[in-house]
Amino acid sequence: MEAPGTTDPKLRLKGVAKAFTAPRTLKRTLAVTGVDLAVEAGEFICIVGPSGCGKSTVMNMIAGLDMPSSGTIEINGVPVAGPGADRGVMFQDYALFPWLTVEENIGFGLRNGTPGNGLSRGEVEARVREHVELVQLAGSETKYPHQLSGGMRQRVALARLLANGPDVLLMDEPLGALDAQTRLILQTELLRIWGETAPQAARKTAVFITHDIEEAVFLADRVVVMSRHPGRVRAVIPVDLARPRDEHIRATPRFGQLSEEIWGLIRAEAYEAIA
Amino acid sequence: MSDGLAGALAPRPEPRWATPARGAALPLLLLAAWQAWATTQPDITRAPSPVQVAATFVRLTASGDLPVSLLQSLGRVLGGFAAALVLGIVLGIAMGTSRTVRAAVEPIVESFRPVAPMAVLPIAILWFGTGTPAALSIVGYAAFFPLLLNTVHGVSQVDRTLLQAARTMGVPRLRILRKVVLPASLPSILLGARLALGVAWTAIIAAELAVGAKSGGGGSGGIGAMMFVFYAYSIDLNGIVACMIVIGLVALAIDRLFRGLERRLTPWRH
Repeated sequence: MEAPGTTDPKLRLKGVAKAFTAPRTLKRTLAVTGVDLAVEAGEFICIVGPSGCGKSTVMNMIAGLDMPSSGTIEINGVPVAGPGADRGVMFQDYALFPWLTVEENIGFGLRNGTPGNGLSRGEVEARVREHVELVQLAGSETKYPHQLSGGMRQRVALARLLANGPDVLLMDEPLGALDAQTRLILQTELLRIWGETAPQAARKTAVFITHDIEEAVFLADRVVVMSRHPGRVRAVIPVDLARPRDEHIRATPRFGQLSEEIWGLIRAEAYEAIA
Repeated sequence: MSDGLAGALAPRPEPRWATPARGAALPLLLLAAWQAWATTQPDITRAPSPVQVAATFVRLTASGDLPVSLLQSLGRVLGGFAAALVLGIVLGIAMGTSRTVRAAVEPIVESFRPVAPMAVLPIAILWFGTGTPAALSIVGYAAFFPLLLNTVHGVSQVDRTLLQAARTMGVPRLRILRKVVLPASLPSILLGARLALGVAWTAIIAAELAVGAKSGGGGSGGIGAMMFVFYAYSIDLNGIVACMIVIGLVALAIDRLFRGLERRLTPWRH
């Protein structure tokens, strides 16, 4: 018999809905509804869907930055009551602090937030150092974000996310602003850093939002396809591609099939969205 | 032929003094014209001339009158500015972060803001007399509004995702205020401070002139009062123009100094 706590998935969304009320007209719009999802520890989940399907809303609710209008979100069986450093967030525009250097940005949570609790000054410094090196930014520690390329900023954001040691990684289109080549390189790097070569128990739990179907297939264990008006889960597609994955997997027939299948689920709404 | 064309298009090398010389030409010409006009006038106290202004400036500096008055005025500006700085930033942050505070305070601020510092002077004199406290209160009043408004603007413009990022890293609220809100609004606060120093300097001169009129000159001190003495007692425009130039140069120096300070305090913006 397992203890009750251990049977809970890492992250569970039960009947989650979110309605927003426009401040002037008081008109309520349903952003997402009926979202059910269970994510196991160490799993990499990608959420794809047309714009306006509520992907970011779902992520904000998992982060605790927004509260569901109904339904519950649980981490290890405990309802989410607000933001916490157990769930690290990487924002679409990276949200780096422009007045802090690369090194200070990466160490911000350790020096100012709960992730630094119980760590000595030396331990904090060592951990910051380690993450600067993990994302290959040694030599750029004293630069400010505006002095960095898009790819380097993305690495700073990733290092800051990981330095805080979260259990769950929440990433909102973190590669969206990069050029196509840089994206491909960073996708592979992201899998390495997430722990692809490690056993599943040693991996982080990741929820990654993207509008790029091939990116989702390349990264994910399961792809959650959302549809809009209102936002809800259309399908959950398991990605049965072996890990560790490398560039060549994009050329396999199975990769193409999965991409095609997901595109088939989104196509109609994607056309609607631009009409 | 082609040589001639290339020669015409290529920028000709210029000696290093060329640009400053061009910039100085017109002012020098105007000074000469002013001097020429002044020498045609019978009364040198009513027709100030560059030479007389310079002589007066040297005399006032040597006697110590000008440096003492200047320091007195500057001290008042700094005192009033410091009070406005603390009050403006604290209230500005409160208004920028709390809708309740903003809703409560904004109508009061907005109804006082159009009232020029000089319009408050009569009350200041009646309450505080003609000395330093009155001057301080006018300077503080003048400097307060640019500081407050720019702080409120800066704080309410802070990028929401930066605040969210800090919250997801488990940073406590007060620390977010100090480590995110304050630095994010610092450029705006510094802009407010620079504008505030400018109006504070303008206000102190006007206040000292007016207080000089009330107290009969000497008593209140400061460079504005010195001007009043030149105006009402010595009736010497040379002294007034010398003071005007000093006031202008001080304002310029304050502005330059502050821009330098802004660059040092916000290195990420340059």
